[in-house]
Amino acid sequence: MTDKNSPRIAIAGGGLMGRLLAWRLAQRDCNITLFEARDFTTPSGACWAAAGMISPLSELVHSQREVYGLGVRSLELWPDWARQLETESGKAVEFRRAGSVLVAHGRDRSELEHIQRELAGKLNGDESAQVRPLDRGQLQQLEPALENFEQGLYLESEGDIDNRRLLPVLLNILRQQGVHLRERTPVECTPGCVEHGEGKLRFDCVIDCRGLGAKGQVEGLRGVRGEVLVVETREVQLQRPVRLLHPRYQLYAVPRSGGQTVIGATEIESEDMSPISVRSLMELSSALYSLHPAFAEARVVETRVNCRPATMDNLPHVHGEPRLVRVNGLYRHGYLLAPALVERVEKLVMQQCLQVA
Amino acid sequence: MTDLLKLYGTTFDSRLLIGTALYPSPAIMRESVEASGAQIITLSLRRQSPEQQQGKMLWDYIRESGCQLLPNTAGCKTPREVIALAEMSREIFLTDWLKLEVIGDDYNLQPDPYGLVEAARELVRRGFKVLPYCTDDLVVCRKLLDVGCEVLMPWGAPIGTGRGLLNRYNLQTLRERLPDTPLIIDAGIGAPSQAAEAMEMGYDAVLLNTAIARAQEPVNMARAFRLAVEAGRTAYSAGLMLKRQTASPSTPTLDMPFWQQADTATQE
Repeated sequence: MTDKNSPRIAIAGGGLMGRLLAWRLAQRDCNITLFEARDFTTPSGACWAAAGMISPLSELVHSQREVYGLGVRSLELWPDWARQLETESGKAVEFRRAGSVLVAHGRDRSELEHIQRELAGKLNGDESAQVRPLDRGQLQQLEPALENFEQGLYLESEGDIDNRRLLPVLLNILRQQGVHLRERTPVECTPGCVEHGEGKLRFDCVIDCRGLGAKGQVEGLRGVRGEVLVVETREVQLQRPVRLLHPRYQLYAVPRSGGQTVIGATEIESEDMSPISVRSLMELSSALYSLHPAFAEARVVETRVNCRPATMDNLPHVHGEPRLVRVNGLYRHGYLLAPALVERVEKLVMQQCLQVA
Repeated sequence: MTDLLKLYGTTFDSRLLIGTALYPSPAIMRESVEASGAQIITLSLRRQSPEQQQGKMLWDYIRESGCQLLPNTAGCKTPREVIALAEMSREIFLTDWLKLEVIGDDYNLQPDPYGLVEAARELVRRGFKVLPYCTDDLVVCRKLLDVGCEVLMPWGAPIGTGRGLLNRYNLQTLRERLPDTPLIIDAGIGAPSQAAEAMEMGYDAVLLNTAIARAQEPVNMARAFRLAVEAGRTAYSAGLMLKRQTASPSTPTLDMPFWQQADTATQE
């Protein structure tokens, strides 16, 4: 519980970053107000549409080394954080550390080789990163459903978390912690001050993690459209996130409880938030069908569309000035980067609060 | 510099055209464009809801490079789609330059020669400067010229394969039979040596994307391609020596009769 000497901190943006920061800072006896432009139960940001993968190696193929470093740190933090969240809430967040499997169809088999080479080059002899080639038998053992594939790669260290469980759990905990929750309150952030429709509020420190809501405040911030499909079937079940390699698409299927599978994601340079296109639906569903034909009878239970907040270098940005910290640009790597960035922001904020005091 | 590339009445110093997709980030894309020295860059807008201009942020960023923009019609499969998209991109990018793509096969993105000729005819009528991405078939190329294209862009190999010049014979034929048409090798180039090879054959320019964008260090790879294209072009202009069957010493070999020396010299 906070007293009147606790630092007063405003967090703008109730997505993944906002919630994790509120939770961590409330543990440090800070007096937190969390602002959200929409509502907390169905967040409007990328965090709700995502599949919740925490896969630094798979992502390294098409991203930069910095993302990998932060991702590895996040992977170290997630198990502990997930345990804490489950203890505090009494509910499961389904953090899973079962690795991920990469497969390619016969004619795209060279993609597996390409990825191995690419990773070897980018990792530059980093032994801790484990990339294990799988033959047919080994693949069958790990993923019995992938009987159409002759070989694959196993990235043992990777994990994922069920974001549709995690976000509500975080919300409940914030309520228990006594965090002031202000939804349907769009705000503008300036040092030490949050401005909303009815006026200005003063804080010791303001953290702006509004994602695309901060457009205009973060240089070069743009949205990158992503589309996701969710299906349900009892006939076929994957054991862990599976990525299907293709020369032009990066598609994945992530199993969730209740026989659901999340398939994503398109990546289109557009800020269009309209429903999923027929073409994307076909790409995603044919990718799924090609993993196992029994998916043809799965039921489409949901389609998700959102835009990922990214800056022109596609890297996350943490910017601190007196009484104001901005964090943005998590792009397609929200769950991969969040804990590592939360750590950084926490440090910045605590330093600032000490200076203020 | 006197050796300029001339396309639709505009001249360029650089003979390397590059695409703007598939880079790790827009920032790396722009650095790569700079390093490549390219003055013409392609970009696509088919899937980006051009009607609502939702990709504007990135388009503006690309525009800031100052290059001639060459919007493409990637993803279109019929002339009707192509024409609608072409009109939209002319409006958005304020240019009548167009890289015409009509895809006939989804898997290897092979151009549809029939759709290509039909679309080109209409686009030329509407005042577009059409640069068609085509196969290396002489007859298709001729038909494209007949309907008013002034530049042709035959493939080296299917898009994204990096297999280089798969059919040298056809490409050589195109060069010889269409000596006055600017010819640009578009697609399939995987290595700088392949780009140099195309330039040595007398091709006017090379267009590529994947080989740079997907390299481990795109900016350095862009520089490598710039050098290769310059080397190939300079070599072509300087006149390549003919290949010989055997090594021919530049001084006469004393122990070999002169008629045999003459023999080896004429063998190709």
